[in-house]
Amino acid sequence: MYPIRKSEVLRYLGYRKSMVITKETDALVDECINDLKKVIQPSMTYERFPIVRHDGILDIGGMIIDSKSLSTNLKDCDEVFLFAATAGIGIDRMIHRAELTNVAKAAIYQAAGAEIVECICDDLNDQLAEKVKKEGLRLKPRFSPGYGDTSLELQKDFERLLQMSKIGIHLNESLLMVPSKSVTAFIGITKSKEKQKSGCALCTAKNCTIRREGL
Amino acid sequence: MSLLERLGKERLYCDGGAGSMLQSWGLKAGELPETWNVTHPDLIIKLNRLYFEAGSDIVNANTFGANALKFPDTLEEIVTKAVENAKEARRLAHREDAYIALDLGPTGKLLEPLGDLPFEDAISLYKETITYGVKAGADLILIETMTDSYEMKAAVLAAKETCDLPILTTMTFDEKGKLLTGGTPESMTAMLEGLGVDALGVNCGLGPKQLRPFVKRLTEVSSLPIIVNPNAGLPKSKNGVDYYDMSADEFVSYMKEMAENLPISVLGGCCGTTPEYIEKLIAATKDLPFVAPTKKHRSVVTSFSQAVEIGKKPVIIGERINPTGKKKFKAALKEHDINYILNQGLDQEEAGAHILDVNVGLPGIDEASMLVEVMSKLQSVLALPLQIDTGDFDAMEKALRAYNGKAMLNSVNGKQETMDHVFPLVKKYGAVVVALALDERGIPQTADERIEIAKKIYKEAEKYGISKDDIVIDGLAMTVSSDPKSALVTLETIRRVRDELHGHSILGVSNISFGLPNRKVLNSHFLTLAMQNGLSCAIINPNLSAMMDSYHAFIALMNLDTNFNEYLSAYADVETTPVKKENKTLSLYDAIKKGLAQDAATATREGMKTKDGLTLINEELIPALDEVGKGFEKGTLFLPQLLMSAEAAQSAFAVVKESMKGEARTINGRIILATVKGDVHDIGKNIVKVMLENYGFEVIDLGKDVPPKKILKTAIDEDIHLVGLSALMTTTVVSMKETIDLFKKEKPDTLICVGGAVMTQDYADEIGADAYCNDAMETVHYAQKVFHCE
Repeated sequence: MYPIRKSEVLRYLGYRKSMVITKETDALVDECINDLKKVIQPSMTYERFPIVRHDGILDIGGMIIDSKSLSTNLKDCDEVFLFAATAGIGIDRMIHRAELTNVAKAAIYQAAGAEIVECICDDLNDQLAEKVKKEGLRLKPRFSPGYGDTSLELQKDFERLLQMSKIGIHLNESLLMVPSKSVTAFIGITKSKEKQKSGCALCTAKNCTIRREGL
Repeated sequence: MSLLERLGKERLYCDGGAGSMLQSWGLKAGELPETWNVTHPDLIIKLNRLYFEAGSDIVNANTFGANALKFPDTLEEIVTKAVENAKEARRLAHREDAYIALDLGPTGKLLEPLGDLPFEDAISLYKETITYGVKAGADLILIETMTDSYEMKAAVLAAKETCDLPILTTMTFDEKGKLLTGGTPESMTAMLEGLGVDALGVNCGLGPKQLRPFVKRLTEVSSLPIIVNPNAGLPKSKNGVDYYDMSADEFVSYMKEMAENLPISVLGGCCGTTPEYIEKLIAATKDLPFVAPTKKHRSVVTSFSQAVEIGKKPVIIGERINPTGKKKFKAALKEHDINYILNQGLDQEEAGAHILDVNVGLPGIDEASMLVEVMSKLQSVLALPLQIDTGDFDAMEKALRAYNGKAMLNSVNGKQETMDHVFPLVKKYGAVVVALALDERGIPQTADERIEIAKKIYKEAEKYGISKDDIVIDGLAMTVSSDPKSALVTLETIRRVRDELHGHSILGVSNISFGLPNRKVLNSHFLTLAMQNGLSCAIINPNLSAMMDSYHAFIALMNLDTNFNEYLSAYADVETTPVKKENKTLSLYDAIKKGLAQDAATATREGMKTKDGLTLINEELIPALDEVGKGFEKGTLFLPQLLMSAEAAQSAFAVVKESMKGEARTINGRIILATVKGDVHDIGKNIVKVMLENYGFEVIDLGKDVPPKKILKTAIDEDIHLVGLSALMTTTVVSMKETIDLFKKEKPDTLICVGGAVMTQDYADEIGADAYCNDAMETVHYAQKVFHCE
């Protein structure tokens, strides 16, 4: 099973070092993480594509993307993985249910669900890294549609290219994914050994409540 | 010979994979394969022909993803050409004996309530494809690769309502034997058999080795021919090339073993298999003895994921979702307070019910639409199968149709007119139906007459092809206070249903004690007697511990509770709690600070012995909440704790409210909350709601994805002057602005505050909001300012 990091669940809940967590709250967080472990139904898919560039515009599997942020992320990459992963629809049911009975639980389920899908992505990420390592290649940090200057419209291309509905990920009219605990992303494949900023360090939302402390 | 004359009587073969072959012939990733029906008919004909020549008896027309969502303008051409190509391939292969399947895959959308495709729209989508496919000459409908029970039901209903062709269905399980929305071999079998499909089975997802246990489970529960179309093992990738890890020979050896040991009627392949696989599969299995499927006689009710079998041990059906004699429930129905009803369901699930009865009939209410709505919402939060309880045939049909799974239906009886209405519905949608042992002559006084009526009902059902496995006889529990012999007659009836009719029975148990005091004593003992006399289903209030005690004791004593699992889990806490808990009760203030809902309620009850409710609220509840709120604002206290305290405060309010018959406190102000159009994230809004309510505001919660006009209309109708809007995404801030603009034009006296993950003060100013609230506490403070109650 995935190593769910409680510290991350707490971070998604807005935890700061200045806060004191009561015994009762701590127990509820544990209980909620355990509840979700029972309903996780992970599934994932990915495809490897060459990157074609024309004047700074990217062409990935027929997707034409004019984005500075993604171009920066995919610098020095000739290829890229597109992937989609989900923790399953069971978590959404648990959240809906808790919204009716106990909003504290609903909030914790939201946070724990986010951490769980993150774990699933990390796991897949490791497998992909292992795969390309044999070819002397490395992976760049994940980059999801909607990050930086990219449009959420890219989700439609992911849906088509990865046949996401096959693994149970669907887009609604607002291009959000159902199950809600799902992730799509680009992962650049590169020969370069240069370290790259990722996650919160890259993000411009400095006042975000879940921003990692100390950055 | 027609397919139905052969299906289940001899071994038949499907075709294998298409995608990987088309890709090797030049289909690009993301290109819709169905377009090739028109652009590369030669290659599609070649593909189909290779399978006909390999020996496949059923070959799929290239229509897997053909629906009007993907081909809004060209669907008819795409589908027609697909079937024509397959026909041409069959002619070229000289296989006039073989059949062409109109192949239907998932729509690519998730259905409501979790997704956004309405059920009836899904049916229409499938109907359109089927209409073209039938017109072009397909011989059967193959619905495959389904991962959601609801979408499967939509596709099957579409096929049944459009044509008379055989319907074959296969679904895709994950390695735990579940569909993506939770369905199991057992639950899916019951639903599909209820819908009257001609065969069912598995395809895709896994290889034959991993699928075997799930195929075995299907053969154990299904009476229908079983189809097995696995992938060529599991997907692997080498040097950037994807492939499946089983060679044709390895694939065939697993398939042969399955065909030898399990009664499988149709064999074939899916992703990664090629005509070579199918040819070898046929060579290896065609001479094996064929074992036809056998009738299983199971009575099963399901939801999208759970299957409850009737007959093995007593089934508990929760009766609380019913307005009869319940003021609060009636009020909830009238006020459209669905959450109240959902909570009734969740409580009963918690208490151990296996199935929930759903009755929402009340004069002045559109029962059909209320029933469908309540059931759909129940199914979005719990997985128990539901029992549709209505006497309105229109509501019955709509509910049976919209239900996700195979429902229980309450009820039919021996009256000819009722049977004429109900049985066609049971036949079409599938259901286990409760049959009351009464008819035109009323309620019989003797067991003899009740048994006669039961026989008559079985016989009438048989005319429709409804097996008595799908009928549960209600032996009619009548109050003993008006006829002291009535319990004896009821018990004799259910005993004879078991012993003479070999059928299943049900009782509305608590009717027995009507008009007598301390009813739970009679009810719980009558329940034990009834179970001892063979009762299959008990409609009871599972929240009453006396009733569940009878059930747990009965199954434990009758060797129906393996390792006493149910008994032990039901009474795990009994030994330890009474000693410890009572000696130290928390004050209301502390209970709220710690966020303990039960203790808060207890403390409130205790406190109200000496003080009145309002004083308690002002002296303890509000100060505790304030302190927690301050901690949260200062950043020393954690969001979940704020919410736990809010929950605890609510449970304290509930106690005060009850004692004061409703009016617990003055209302500080009335506020509309809504997550704006396009946005489905409403956790933040829900948190704000709870906090506002705690501080004495009445909240009209319009939910999520709410159109601007609806918010405006509610504000006008309800005379509201403060509206809170929430949006999580930058993309939906647009709808927030639309809503604000609409208010400025149509109802400028309303203040609008906004919040949500992407919101900032700048953003709020830009879209013209009156206030930006960073979190729930800020919203409370703003509301207090607006309504002058700081």
